[in-house]
Amino acid sequence: MNRFTWQSALFLAPATITLLLFAYWPLLQDVWLSFHSWNMVSPTMKFVGLQNYLQLLSSDELIKILLNTVLYILVLVCVNFIFPYLLSFIIAHRLNRFSFFYRSALFIPSTVSLAVASILFLWILNPLAGPLNIILSAIGLESPRWFKESGLVIIVIGLIIGWKVFGYNLILLVAAMVDVPKELIEAARLENVSNWQLFRRIIVPMTSSTALYVFVITVVFGLQYVLVPVNMLTQGGPDQGSSNLVYIVYQYGFVFFQTGKASAFAILTMLIYALFLIVKTKVLDKKVHYEN
Amino acid sequence: MKINSYRDWYWHILLLLAVVIQLWPLLFMLSTSFKTMDQIFLSTLNPLPAKPVIDNYLYVLKNLPLVQYIVNTLLIASSITLAKIITSILAGFAFVYYEFSHKEKLFNTLLLTFFIPITVVMMPNYLLISKLGLLNTPWGVILPQLADGMGIFLMRQSMRNIPKPLLEAGRLENASPWVILTRIILPLIKPSVIAMGIVFFINSWNDYFWPLLILHDKPTYTLPLALQMFISAEGGSEWGIAMAVAMLTALPPLLLYLTCQRFIMNTFMQSGVKG
Amino acid sequence: MNGIIFENVCKSYGETAVVKDLNMTIQEGERLILLGPSGCGKTTTLRMVAGLENITAGTLKMGGQVVNTVEPGARNIAMVFQNYALYPHMTIWENITFGLFIQKIPIEEIKARTKQALEILNLSGYEQRKPNELSGGQKQRVALCRSLVKQAPYFLLDEPLSNLDAQLRLQARTELVKIHNLYRPTFIYVTHDQVEAMTVGQRIAIMNQGALQQLDTPDVIYQRPANTFVASFIGSPPMNLLQGAFRDGALWIAGSRVNPPTKWHTLLAEHQELWIGIRPEQCCLSDTPMLHGQIEFVEHLGSQRCIHLRLHQDGQRLLCMLPADQPIPTGTVGVSFSWQHVNGFDGHVGKNIGLPNKISHNYAC
Repeated sequence: MNRFTWQSALFLAPATITLLLFAYWPLLQDVWLSFHSWNMVSPTMKFVGLQNYLQLLSSDELIKILLNTVLYILVLVCVNFIFPYLLSFIIAHRLNRFSFFYRSALFIPSTVSLAVASILFLWILNPLAGPLNIILSAIGLESPRWFKESGLVIIVIGLIIGWKVFGYNLILLVAAMVDVPKELIEAARLENVSNWQLFRRIIVPMTSSTALYVFVITVVFGLQYVLVPVNMLTQGGPDQGSSNLVYIVYQYGFVFFQTGKASAFAILTMLIYALFLIVKTKVLDKKVHYEN
Repeated sequence: MKINSYRDWYWHILLLLAVVIQLWPLLFMLSTSFKTMDQIFLSTLNPLPAKPVIDNYLYVLKNLPLVQYIVNTLLIASSITLAKIITSILAGFAFVYYEFSHKEKLFNTLLLTFFIPITVVMMPNYLLISKLGLLNTPWGVILPQLADGMGIFLMRQSMRNIPKPLLEAGRLENASPWVILTRIILPLIKPSVIAMGIVFFINSWNDYFWPLLILHDKPTYTLPLALQMFISAEGGSEWGIAMAVAMLTALPPLLLYLTCQRFIMNTFMQSGVKG
Repeated sequence: MNGIIFENVCKSYGETAVVKDLNMTIQEGERLILLGPSGCGKTTTLRMVAGLENITAGTLKMGGQVVNTVEPGARNIAMVFQNYALYPHMTIWENITFGLFIQKIPIEEIKARTKQALEILNLSGYEQRKPNELSGGQKQRVALCRSLVKQAPYFLLDEPLSNLDAQLRLQARTELVKIHNLYRPTFIYVTHDQVEAMTVGQRIAIMNQGALQQLDTPDVIYQRPANTFVASFIGSPPMNLLQGAFRDGALWIAGSRVNPPTKWHTLLAEHQELWIGIRPEQCCLSDTPMLHGQIEFVEHLGSQRCIHLRLHQDGQRLLCMLPADQPIPTGTVGVSFSWQHVNGFDGHVGKNIGLPNKISHNYAC
């Protein structure tokens, strides 16, 4: 039994040490930083207590940042969760040909770097010479300045991320759809059930565990992806119009060098994540059908 | 029971539309990279440039340390992939093969790192890397990215799918844990390991953020980071060149995927990356 | 001295006790069957011998040594798993020799042993195939072969035939006995199939709900079951168990007075309530009946017919076998039996009360 313990510790050590060192330790350090005022280079740090948090909560930008974040998440949930969910049903159960082609083709953008996606859409959405502008003016519409208008910019960024992530989530959902036994669907067809009823009554309950997982990664990872396009394309502008809970941490930390405020925002994000996960385990998991 | 082939045409239209939305931007990137400046602005939408030119590629090759960038990116991405595969296999094996107290708790603790956002780790890890003197080195980019609970989860999952008696038969033969891992388990989960490796490689190749934080000297740049040089304030005009670099950045992951797509799809479909 | 001794062995998972206070001695070189319904703890018992399950309490001795904490690999055991556990990525040859190479046995020896085992099991020529290119019966033989080449003093089999179809099973049973006779390892065989147990086993250990019920030869178990559980578990159709009471020097079953031979009286008198066990094939229709009953239906079993009776008065059921060439009776019939085949069980604890001439005989282990 003892030999077992040290052997298993040996196998676990590399992963555990890296995770402690580069994930949990930073978390603690962030809490510590958030109670101090510092500029990353000065040799001394000043303890300020809750001041960073109070400033953060009373600032005007917080509302704007949260609104942007919510708007962005909504776009992602539509593009990377609801659409792929419906499409995966069609691909897995409503087609008898080409389903492999669709799966493979739709997956391709998810292999592309977000940096590539950002620069590519910067060109596509160029308001003067970009191709989308040419298409829009051909049908008599004027192209908005996509990255320069508050309210619009965060949606556009959400759509860019959505374009990249869509295929990956779709594949996860198709995999879950394929696992729904064909007999169930055939039995339903004998009852002459409509597509919508079939989706609602059989597919959704049978795929709910994967769906919940995809929903969670859509929110949790999607939020983090936003860093790349915002950093490359807008730097949070115009007038914080594309700033959000994630980018603001980078901005305070690496642009304004206010580690205290940056950490306070990071901890706030972590708390929101934690809340989200608690809701997920306490409420959503109960409603989900797990196979084992 | 086959669905009537002619009755699903409207689904095909819907899906084809989705395919066009997903692939058109990439096609556009490809064609722009082979156009001259004139063609870019005069026949913007034409997907097939009348006379494809490789001037853009030649320009970047001549004026950028492109080979250096490719080497940097390749080095970083392969190191991360290899290290993550090894640590994930070892940890996943420990969770499947051994019984020890608080096993589930430890597993969940490691998996929860999945949900620690990059915003939380970026400053402390940056400070740590700079304290270690690893700024502007590949190591500085590699180290923080090794912390990833996902691989452990995937490896444990696929090892769990191996029937227990296979491992027990090994134990009865007095095979050491190492022999059981390398001779019995690894051959059986090879497809999952390869698929996971491909996903890890593509993700690390594509990463923009850690290189941005750690690499400040131009010669140390990775390809995705190099792309930012082509973004000038208000829509710079070097689109052909920018798209050529973007193509070069996107190509390796894309080729990797296209060559292994049947394999990747099948692995996804079977074991899946399901939660 | 390669026997196996269980001393007060218990196994529990948290609150659930799977094996309760097991005391059992397995003789060196015998073929012992662990038999019981699913969930009775027989597989757990086997896995404790293999070292694949920890022992919660008690001691397990193998070859005279306590092995509670000995690693499975150090116990020198060969085991055949239910689904054979063949390594799918290795060829048959690699599967069979995997363990031998780990044991660092010289290559000539490995080759010789494997060649011999393959010949015995009729697998020569299949060395380079992969397991999924073989049929179920062949896979089963490869699993046997892999255990055989080890030449281990202990040979454990966990339901090895349960995945074979009926015909192959018949053939495999004789093969197993043949293999055992080759070098006579201590052979422990887990099954839930009583026919397999009867045909393969030299002794059978019957388990139920984690407890050993009886350990004896197939004959004794069939004719003198230790308790009502064994009585109803062994035999198809199972033994009739009739509720009875001994009063006024006679046994009363379903309102009928049955007169036992006088030597039974003292024994029966010790128990007020009784279960009287009679095998269906020991019952016969009679003109001087002991019991009366109404025929409910008749089952055709080929060489025999099974008559289902409902006894008069209290409606207890009784099965009775008749040769198929006799005419099928109808209506009310009388049944009698011979006392030399009767087993009595205590009405409360269900234990066999024994036979009149050896009153103190205890059939449990």
